[in-house]
Amino acid sequence: MAKRLLDFSDRTAIAGVGYTPFTKNSGVSTLTLACRAVLAALEDAGLTADDVDGLATHRVGDSAPPTLVAPALGLTDLAWHLDQFGGGSVSHAVVGQAALAVAAGVAEAVVCYRAINARSEFRMGGTGRGVPLSPEVQYQAPYGYVAPPQQYAMYARAHMLKYGTKAEHFGQLAVTQRANAAKNPRALMRTPITLDDYLASRWIAEPFRLLDCCLETDGACAVVVTTAERARSLRRPPVLISAAAWGGGTSHLSSVAAAADPTVTAAAALAPRLYAQAGLGPGDIDVAEIYDCFTYSVIVQLEDYGFCAKGEGGPYVASGATSLDGPLPVNTHGGFLSEGYVHGVNHVAEAVSQLRGDAGDRQVPGAEVALSTAQPGYILPATSALILRRS
Amino acid sequence: MTYRPEPDRDSQEWWERIATREFAVQRCDMCGTTRFPARAFCPACRTEAWHWQEVEPEGRVESWIVNHQPFMPGAREPYVVVMVRLAAVPGCLVYGNWHGERPPEPGERVRASYNRIDETLTLVNWTPAGG
Repeated sequence: MAKRLLDFSDRTAIAGVGYTPFTKNSGVSTLTLACRAVLAALEDAGLTADDVDGLATHRVGDSAPPTLVAPALGLTDLAWHLDQFGGGSVSHAVVGQAALAVAAGVAEAVVCYRAINARSEFRMGGTGRGVPLSPEVQYQAPYGYVAPPQQYAMYARAHMLKYGTKAEHFGQLAVTQRANAAKNPRALMRTPITLDDYLASRWIAEPFRLLDCCLETDGACAVVVTTAERARSLRRPPVLISAAAWGGGTSHLSSVAAAADPTVTAAAALAPRLYAQAGLGPGDIDVAEIYDCFTYSVIVQLEDYGFCAKGEGGPYVASGATSLDGPLPVNTHGGFLSEGYVHGVNHVAEAVSQLRGDAGDRQVPGAEVALSTAQPGYILPATSALILRRS
Repeated sequence: MTYRPEPDRDSQEWWERIATREFAVQRCDMCGTTRFPARAFCPACRTEAWHWQEVEPEGRVESWIVNHQPFMPGAREPYVVVMVRLAAVPGCLVYGNWHGERPPEPGERVRASYNRIDETLTLVNWTPAGG
């Protein structure tokens, strides 16, 4: 690995997290949601808006950018801001970029937020949203191939055909995450489900059923990134950003790259960089919040982040390994499948909660190191991830 | 068809050739690497000179979905979308609707089945090779 000019591992921390309620219809603008989540995160950290000198978000033309949120909160001179175009694949990149800005001394307190009315206003691949502006679309949309559930279902079947992954494996993941959500007061879906419920849920795009798919949620979530030193003086136990990594390149949509393998994601290339930065390996991770736009997304990332061998993600989940009392609790909040869909930031916030030890009934005892990941690069050929640890 | 593709400056000529039932990919003049979809640069040697090369419109089924949810206004569910690995460009996955009396089979050989929409637009679906 090339020498890093700025070693920012453990130099920054997440000092607070904030949420709005998760609903199917917020009744307010994304600007309002953003302001509420930002202020809630600052309150959690013991800071005020006057302490903020940076704002960052990711969005796909569906939400309020920092240049709207700043004046709405009376912030007249941000030292740093980021309006990152992109979906879930860049969700963790935003926090990583905030960590870089803080470590470099460009800003001291950055709030990263995502505000989304993903059910009542802009449904992914559905009403309120145009066909995405990508040159790939012309080769797909004429065939009725337009929505993330279709794309992920296509890759999921490729994995099933190559490795023998079964519907029951996907189902067990959905059942396990719902059990976690039952212990999370914030979760939208808290009624436990069984494997039979999963198998009986209606088809969306075979091999995906309804319960393979994440919720569509109105809500916002925010995290405060500041220096590790400052975080230690604030009201919450600081959670250090030990590693932030970016990765990607190979497109699975229609590819100019050599040897596109639809069962391998951009996470496979990113993971070694991420672990090296933290000086840790998969065996050191106590809890993992893994981007779960669909069940299969978790299974393939368990492989690509090195928790099991390639092709073994399904049996690994079916073994109970990812349940709250298993060796690797995954999506302890219930994830997008059952807590709510806030495009990645609620995964970061849940990891923080677990490491602070304030996750209530779903707390993983003694959790010290967490992995949190972004959409692994199937839809845009990019991904990002964080390793966080208790100070 | 409910969505009419909008060719861009890189892809316009590819669509024009498809409209005449010529299935073409780009071949790099410098290193001979074939590529799809249309792009100015060869990703292998990063040079610009290239030419169209007509290839057999064949590949193998890598995966498929049976779509039930009305994501596309006007489409009639259920319908099948296949992901095909092009024989001519093995690093490339392409998509189209399934044109067959039975479901696709894993790895089966398929050929393009041209679906003429009008004078300027033809779409590419996939059907069992030799079937």
